[in-house]
Amino acid sequence: MPGLLEGVKVLDLTHYIAGPYCTKLLSGLGADVVKIEHPTRGDGVRWLGPFASGNPDILPNSPLEKRDTAPEDGAWFLYLNTAKQSVALDLQSSEGRRVLLEMAAKAHILIENFAPGQMESLGLSYAELQKVNPALVMTSISNFGQTGPYRDWKASELNLYALGGLMNITGEPEQEPLKEGMPLAQLGAGQNAFAATMAGLMYAEETGEGQQIDLAIAEYATNILENALMQFSYSGQEYNRVGNRGYGRAAWGIYPCLDGHVGIIAGPDHRWPEVARIMEREELSDPRFLSRSGRLENADEVDAYMLPFLVENNKVDIFKAGQDSGLGFSFVATMKDILEMEQLLDRDYFVDLDHPVAGKLTYPGAPIMPEVGVNAWVFERAPLLGEHTASALHSWLGYSDRQVSELVDQGVITQSKGA
Amino acid sequence: MEKTSDKMPLRNYRVLDLSRIWAGPYCTKLFADMGAEIIKMESLSVYDSHRGPVSPARGIAAYPDGEPGEEPWNRNGWFNCLHMSKYGVTLELTKDEGRRVFEKLVSVSDVVIENFRQGSLERLGYTYEELRKHRPDLIYVSMPAFGNTGPWKGYLGYGIGQEQLSGMAHMTGYRGEGPMKSGINHGDPITGSHAAGVLMAALRHRRKTGKGMFIDVSQQESSVALMGPEVLAYQMTGQEPERQGNRSGWYAPANSYPCAGEDRWVTITTTNEEQWQNLAKVMGTSGVVGDSRFANPAQRRENHDELDRIISEWTIGQEVYAVTQKLQEAGVPAGPVLRGPDLLEDPHYKDRGTFVTINHSQVGPKQYPGIPWRMSATPGQVRWPSPTLGQHNREVYSELLGLTAIEIDQLDETGIIGTKPTGSRII
Repeated sequence: MPGLLEGVKVLDLTHYIAGPYCTKLLSGLGADVVKIEHPTRGDGVRWLGPFASGNPDILPNSPLEKRDTAPEDGAWFLYLNTAKQSVALDLQSSEGRRVLLEMAAKAHILIENFAPGQMESLGLSYAELQKVNPALVMTSISNFGQTGPYRDWKASELNLYALGGLMNITGEPEQEPLKEGMPLAQLGAGQNAFAATMAGLMYAEETGEGQQIDLAIAEYATNILENALMQFSYSGQEYNRVGNRGYGRAAWGIYPCLDGHVGIIAGPDHRWPEVARIMEREELSDPRFLSRSGRLENADEVDAYMLPFLVENNKVDIFKAGQDSGLGFSFVATMKDILEMEQLLDRDYFVDLDHPVAGKLTYPGAPIMPEVGVNAWVFERAPLLGEHTASALHSWLGYSDRQVSELVDQGVITQSKGA
Repeated sequence: MEKTSDKMPLRNYRVLDLSRIWAGPYCTKLFADMGAEIIKMESLSVYDSHRGPVSPARGIAAYPDGEPGEEPWNRNGWFNCLHMSKYGVTLELTKDEGRRVFEKLVSVSDVVIENFRQGSLERLGYTYEELRKHRPDLIYVSMPAFGNTGPWKGYLGYGIGQEQLSGMAHMTGYRGEGPMKSGINHGDPITGSHAAGVLMAALRHRRKTGKGMFIDVSQQESSVALMGPEVLAYQMTGQEPERQGNRSGWYAPANSYPCAGEDRWVTITTTNEEQWQNLAKVMGTSGVVGDSRFANPAQRRENHDELDRIISEWTIGQEVYAVTQKLQEAGVPAGPVLRGPDLLEDPHYKDRGTFVTINHSQVGPKQYPGIPWRMSATPGQVRWPSPTLGQHNREVYSELLGLTAIEIDQLDETGIIGTKPTGSRII
């Protein structure tokens, strides 16, 4: 299983969430991704739980309590770093920098998500890297970008979601604005960084010219605001929070049901009469509810007629009753629901990966799977810290065992002691 | 048609774009941003429903000043923010002559992309095998809601549904309350962005092997891919994730806090001890310095309610940008909850040119989100506004397909192409 990007060498200087999701997509497509980690701490996301082993040494929810060695079995690290190789290398040392420049000379792509300025202070600015490799595509992912007044601001997902404009439009109008449960600004920016990097690679391969790509997580958020921004731009009208009701719609959102929550989506519009039949409520076929605007005007009444049916029925049954009548109903899936979802199982979406510390777990597979017969993706577990230090220095740079042990003795690199 | 600058990464690729609404159009928007030639094809009877109804009511904010005008389908901000730098053509596939033109378009395209309900194009006789007869190395991206196989393949899905069926909505919501939808539909850009990157990998593969491929995109699978860490976490703990509101599962304090003015909020996070100490210092005497209830991370999590109360008392009278500035200067992660007007006036976004002013012939100059990243060697730019319905029919059909003016007139007269809708079915 070679993968679509077989032979593409990626030097991965990313950590936490946005950068690693970008390089996970590259490694999944078969690129040779070498993740450079700090020799003892590793990627900071290694320290975020939960952990497969339950890890009694670390407070389950605290990244602050450090042990001597980085954990290997945190859920976030395991998922975001599949099919990558880990090289434990001290970038602060001059020897470490020398090794990195040698690797950069061989790489097609370098991805990093340090705070802006950090690469320069390590002596690894794009200008320096370009000297050893003019065709290198370097993608720099950061909170606010490499320029601008907020360049050096600190931010977590919550702050990015707020500054990106997504938070103001999520939640109830009378309560505070709300972020997503998943870090979708960072993950989405990681995806866009993958697309941007691919564009840079296509150009570099065709022209021999590399370049630096500057991708800001906050700007990803502003790029997907769609009508929430456009209606202000077009008519000066602000977009408000509408809770679980669709914007300017009724019967277009999340409702409680017997065993959880369902998505009642009164679309396509001409299928609305089916709702009255499914829910066995004659009142719902009232001509006042036939149009989108009519339902909106009478939203509370529409909800009141639907609820008795909903609270007496299960989410999957309601979902299918809608879909079988041509309506785009959905349901709020739990993690358990996802792992048991018949559609995903039928398409062989999940992959089971065994890990020496974490054991066997079921992972979501390819976000997009081309036709059968194209070996597009590779599925391999995340690496132990420093697991590939020797093998990657050998395969990328042709280092001998003696050269590797010298670097170990100098404290420039470390190797995994195994599980 | 314009010659694309040599300084655009995807200048050598042409995409025949049958996609609608948002997921597919976001993929081709990223391609257009990178210089690809996008031929957006619509039907006069079923045009992209993001253009809105043929006769909408007045006052809808998606139209300039709420005024739909004589051709509302050309004046809708939803549509106009997603199709910049694309060519717009119309064509009726239900008529033989339309099919012949379509097949010619396929023969000169590198990619065909669609996000119809599964099987729609097939019912018109266009399977991947059939399309390949016109273009043997064609890459065909098909992105129905649940993919092209499986028991749910014929089901309908909207972006709002993908947030639910992927588990995202399950994790989003106020503490102790039910799941909450987002203000947008995350499923759409998530699918579009994944598809853009994978499509480039497929084009690169074709360059090396000469072979096209069929790319089966399940919008749901794309969204579940972002849920991976929580899917693993569930297997490790046996516990479903809890809805945390604006708090963090890892850090405390982290939340949104009220500021001066109506519905103004600042978000504050401390992810390590240093930031916590800095926050305490900034809050000064009104703050939490030396309070034993907050001495370590575990206690700060345990006493989060009390901590939130104290921080809120400190933020409530302050202006949202001013308090942010104060916190950032002290090295504390913070940010205002920005609203529409704030975004367009924000000094950072202005400095970076995040939003661009584009002059659309039927709308006038307005601000739009621009290209979502910067490239040093191939900076690129938004090249032209979103096309009006059928705007580029003549250019594309004559320059690309070599049809004569008389042939194009005939297509126009027989209703196979045109610029005025003959219907619109709105979801």
